[in-house]
Amino acid sequence: MAALIELNRVSYRYAGAARILKEIDLTIPPGESTAVFGASGSGKSTLACLFNGLIPHFFGGLLEGTVIVAGSPTRNTMVSELFSQVGLVLQNTDAQLFNATVEDDVAFGLESLGYPAIEIRKRTHRISETLGISHLLHRSPETLSGGEKRLAAIATVLCLDPALLILDEPFAGLDHRGTRVVRDVLRQIQRQGRNLVLIEHRTKPFFAEADRCIIIDEGAICFDGKPAEASGVLLDLHLMPRYPERTARRRSRSGESILVVKDLSCRIEGRDILSDISLSLAHGEAVAIVGENGVGKTTLIKHFNGLLQPTTGEVSFKGRCIRNLHPSARAVAVGVCFQNPNDQFFEVDVRKEILAGPKRLGKIDWKWFEQICDTLSLRLLLDRSPYRLSEGEKRRVALASILVMRPEVLVLDEPTAGQDGRFKETLAHMCATISEMGTAVVVVTHDLDFARTTTDRWVVMHAGRIVSDGTPDKMREKLLSFREDATYRPP
Amino acid sequence: MANFDPRTKLTFLVTAVGAVLVTRRPETLAVQSLLLLGAIILLKDDRRPGHLRRLFLPMTALVFMTGLVFFDLQTALRLASRLFNLLAVSFVCFKTIDPDEMAGALQKLGIPFSLVFILSAGLRYVPLIGRKIHNIVDAQQARGIDLRPRIRNIPHFAALLTPLVVQAFVLSDDLALAMESRGFGCENRSSRRTYLLRPIDYILIGASLGGLCLLAWWERG
Repeated sequence: MAALIELNRVSYRYAGAARILKEIDLTIPPGESTAVFGASGSGKSTLACLFNGLIPHFFGGLLEGTVIVAGSPTRNTMVSELFSQVGLVLQNTDAQLFNATVEDDVAFGLESLGYPAIEIRKRTHRISETLGISHLLHRSPETLSGGEKRLAAIATVLCLDPALLILDEPFAGLDHRGTRVVRDVLRQIQRQGRNLVLIEHRTKPFFAEADRCIIIDEGAICFDGKPAEASGVLLDLHLMPRYPERTARRRSRSGESILVVKDLSCRIEGRDILSDISLSLAHGEAVAIVGENGVGKTTLIKHFNGLLQPTTGEVSFKGRCIRNLHPSARAVAVGVCFQNPNDQFFEVDVRKEILAGPKRLGKIDWKWFEQICDTLSLRLLLDRSPYRLSEGEKRRVALASILVMRPEVLVLDEPTAGQDGRFKETLAHMCATISEMGTAVVVVTHDLDFARTTTDRWVVMHAGRIVSDGTPDKMREKLLSFREDATYRPP
Repeated sequence: MANFDPRTKLTFLVTAVGAVLVTRRPETLAVQSLLLLGAIILLKDDRRPGHLRRLFLPMTALVFMTGLVFFDLQTALRLASRLFNLLAVSFVCFKTIDPDEMAGALQKLGIPFSLVFILSAGLRYVPLIGRKIHNIVDAQQARGIDLRPRIRNIPHFAALLTPLVVQAFVLSDDLALAMESRGFGCENRSSRRTYLLRPIDYILIGASLGGLCLLAWWERG
């Protein structure tokens, strides 16, 4: 049977950049599901753009070798001719869902192909029923959860009935429930005999079910075979993190609490987001806050540094209400590193970016700055623009900009989301170092392996409340019991 | 309004804007204001009480004060009520026409799809940009960069605008990629929406245009 995709000695460089793909030879037969792994910047997403003609027609650059999709060389075939056969689901669902409603988005590709209205409506409703999103058709994408957005994004290309479906990090940002839902849908698609190409950092969700695993390292394929045989390579390349054994940290000698949350409730636009939250943190303590998306974890940590005011209750830092402190004093008390490092960058180079906070305080501790740069391996990046860094590098810079303020409590919001194994190892090591120095560390995360490595205490949240607070082993069972109660079932 | 063709709704609302703009007599402006206030009360969203007050009052008050200072009371009242009426018509417009209806109506009226898409994409991404602004403010405040709305914080606003503009450009790049990947720009594009003008639509369109012409003649007199 003829291959669906053939790449012969393909190399590619973006305009004005170094080669990102080097001498790729690849053949994908019909009906195969392939998982593609690689570090950030290794060329995974670039490979995906070769399959539907975006390279070379949209991105330009220099393409060498030949790419043949369904018998047509992509060099001579426009994207408008290929998109009905090769569907690409981007990682950025906000960009993928660019219409006012989900129904408009699902119909968009069919309208581009000139289908009559009656056929468009039929296909739209059929694919929505298949994916279990009929109830979302009239909603704006802005109102959807992460998992719902991902399913809607899949629907936008699946309705075209493509032979090949490419998904760029389909599990990014999803909690356990969302991951399970998307994975079940992908299994369904796989059973239909459609080709799937999954590009991911997270190895667990679909790894065992893929027919084939490809690992890309520095633009070249370094492994191409069965998933069961790939674990060693994934570990060697640090795509799967090698975490050290966790040794329990000492709490501060006095056991004194540095941050106390007492009877906190938060109501926003008539909805109860948090109810009766009470917890305390001591010096050097490392705590994970875990729970499904939408339970209020990020809302809770925004109270820690006074970004939000409680409806009732109080958050105090060393006995003083956190909201009574000036914003710069709050940053020194409780540093919060949010999920998207791009929300912070506004300086021309990394050095200025990291020092932006201390400069406003009027005091820079150069020794501490140097120590942070060494711990986070930022020395070589100091003169570079933060916008031109890889996602892992950006995350380290964002973290450094918080650490340089010497907060006594450090809060990390989903620090491992979208990151490769190497970054997770660096971050785990850094959390241990900071905790040893007496800083309380709070990690909000879905990554339970990371939480187990870096923390001694888990706070489990559900429906805006703390339902359990204890050691990881005991809390893991509690957490799993909430996951099994998830009510979504694909049709 | 719900059952009319979107082209009818659009025509009605465009003529409503035209009616506000051609009106000069204070008594006519006052009647318009009362009618629009009634429409607002019928259509407003009770989940966000005070939202309209916060939106309308400051701008109307500013225009009134400016008119009073630089002109006279009558001019100030006229300017303020005209602004209020325009804001009210916009509110009624967005409450009675969905963005996809607006897009469909414009396409049916012969506006090229690429231009219609600019409008619908703009409406789609305004809430997202609003969310990004919140996230940026939170992230910067967490580093000690005060972005509360104070005069002394004006020099800090580069810390809001720079990441916002950069992320807007990145989003536009991703958006272009997504659009290209789903055949934006293909010729002979179809539409899932089918619209049919009924006799009642023609009557309302005629009445709207006729009413506008009558009002313009009346105001000239």
